[in-house]
Amino acid sequence: MIDVFFQYDFLMYSLYTSLMIGFLAPFLGVFIVVRRLSLMADALSHITLTGIAFSLLLGRHYPLFAALNPVYMGIAFSVTGSIFIERLRNVYKFYKELAIPIILSTGIGIGVVFISLANGFNNDLFNYLFGSVIAINKQDFYVVIIVTIIVTALLILFYKEWFFLSFDEEQAVISGIPRRTLHFLFMIMVALVIGISMQIVGILLVSALMTLPVAAAMRWARGFKQMFFYAILFGEISVLTGLISAFHLDLAPGGTIVMVNVLILLVSITLTKKR
Amino acid sequence: MEILEQLTFLERGVIAGIIIGFLSPLIGAFLLVRRMTIISEGLSHITLTGITAGIFMSQSAFWLGPVNPLYTGLLFSLAGSLLVEKLRQIYKDFQELAIPIILSTGIGMSAILISLVQSSYTEWYSYLFGSIVTVTLSDLFFIVITGIVTVVILAGFYKELLSISFDQEFAVTSGISVKKINFLFSLLIALVITMSIKVVGILLVGAMVTLPVAASIQFAKSFRQVIFFGILFGEISVIGGIVTSYYLNIATGGMIVVCGVTILVVSIVVQRIIVRLRKTV
Repeated sequence: MIDVFFQYDFLMYSLYTSLMIGFLAPFLGVFIVVRRLSLMADALSHITLTGIAFSLLLGRHYPLFAALNPVYMGIAFSVTGSIFIERLRNVYKFYKELAIPIILSTGIGIGVVFISLANGFNNDLFNYLFGSVIAINKQDFYVVIIVTIIVTALLILFYKEWFFLSFDEEQAVISGIPRRTLHFLFMIMVALVIGISMQIVGILLVSALMTLPVAAAMRWARGFKQMFFYAILFGEISVLTGLISAFHLDLAPGGTIVMVNVLILLVSITLTKKR
Repeated sequence: MEILEQLTFLERGVIAGIIIGFLSPLIGAFLLVRRMTIISEGLSHITLTGITAGIFMSQSAFWLGPVNPLYTGLLFSLAGSLLVEKLRQIYKDFQELAIPIILSTGIGMSAILISLVQSSYTEWYSYLFGSIVTVTLSDLFFIVITGIVTVVILAGFYKELLSISFDQEFAVTSGISVKKINFLFSLLIALVITMSIKVVGILLVGAMVTLPVAASIQFAKSFRQVIFFGILFGEISVIGGIVTSYYLNIATGGMIVVCGVTILVVSIVVQRIIVRLRKTV
């Protein structure tokens, strides 16, 4: 079943990419969940759609942008979006949770207008929304490798700082950890991972890959390090089975990957209920 | 109901839009004070699953006959809102996880069902991003009936809902059954989200619930004013969105949201200027 993936280059690229995002998304996801930013991932992935739509629109008028992979514009938009969310939190001091739904729906709304203007309601858009097995070409693949290396290196390098910030923010700030810089760096990393994952999983389903394995891992893990282990394990299982079954059954890979994740989550919840 | 049958497709869309522009901010105001605005995003995504399931059923199970997918959407959305409560209990220390879980499950299942149903992409886009042109007569009936049900429930239980939203403990001691009212509230959210989907689109329903209310709390001095300004802003953005989208040939949902965002930005800026003026005086 799996050997077909080694026969064709484009399938091999997407298989390796999946393996990498199956590792990267839950790894980052653990920090996202313990820092209570799980909704942030949803908001950022929805803004990525705005960026992609904007890039498609520009590509119709300027040939320079037509050659560019829309994903890069998507990443730029989602970084900007994360800054906007912080600003909105200051505007709504008493209703801080409003910031995320506002940005989320604004992102999609403006994205839809861009898509309409670019006449982009076609198959390509569907692949962006729900993922595709064949989206990765050689150039994208190298970008995925580079992003994986950078994000993993940063996570390991600043592991202690983020660990500290996640569990005791006040103490961390007092001991001199630059919270704002680290938070900004974290958001850029989330945007990058969303950008590379969405080509296979789809914009609407990226955040699932970051939160669902972690939610399942939480049921099993007895420590923070174990949580990484379980989350990455569940992430890899779901990505692999999801991708292979999507290819053989001709379904959207994002859907199958997420549903495998949901299954793992359900099994975890029922098995650990008594504990 | 006979009057409804004589309407042109555009008039149907406009009437549906006006009903939605009235009801979504109304529910939005309650969601805001209960700090649950984000639930609209989760439920709208699970409604998509219901709609895809409805379309899938009427394609593969002929004996069921043609079902308007909005009804299955409503069913899923209601089930979703009950599941959210359940998940909140399972993840007691990370309650905010419930919404992303529901949201991604909903979209994941829909993605699979969409690939199974061999339907044209344009039909899906009208569900995802909204379009007033596709509001059929049976959709309009659905919107009118659910609209009436929503108004009746809201009017009948206004005091109970208000009491629970602002002070749950007080509500319990004064003998209100929190469980019952919460269920009713879930039903209301599910109703409003499902009825909005045809016009605004699944990915944008959350905007109709959130944006007008977010703009109105900039000015409002009481809960009633939040509702009043919310409905005002909601109607302006729906009508403005429909008109501009018709003339510029852009997806309706997108234009409605852009109008809502413009109102929000203007009201934040105006409010800041007012505050600054007061300080200098």
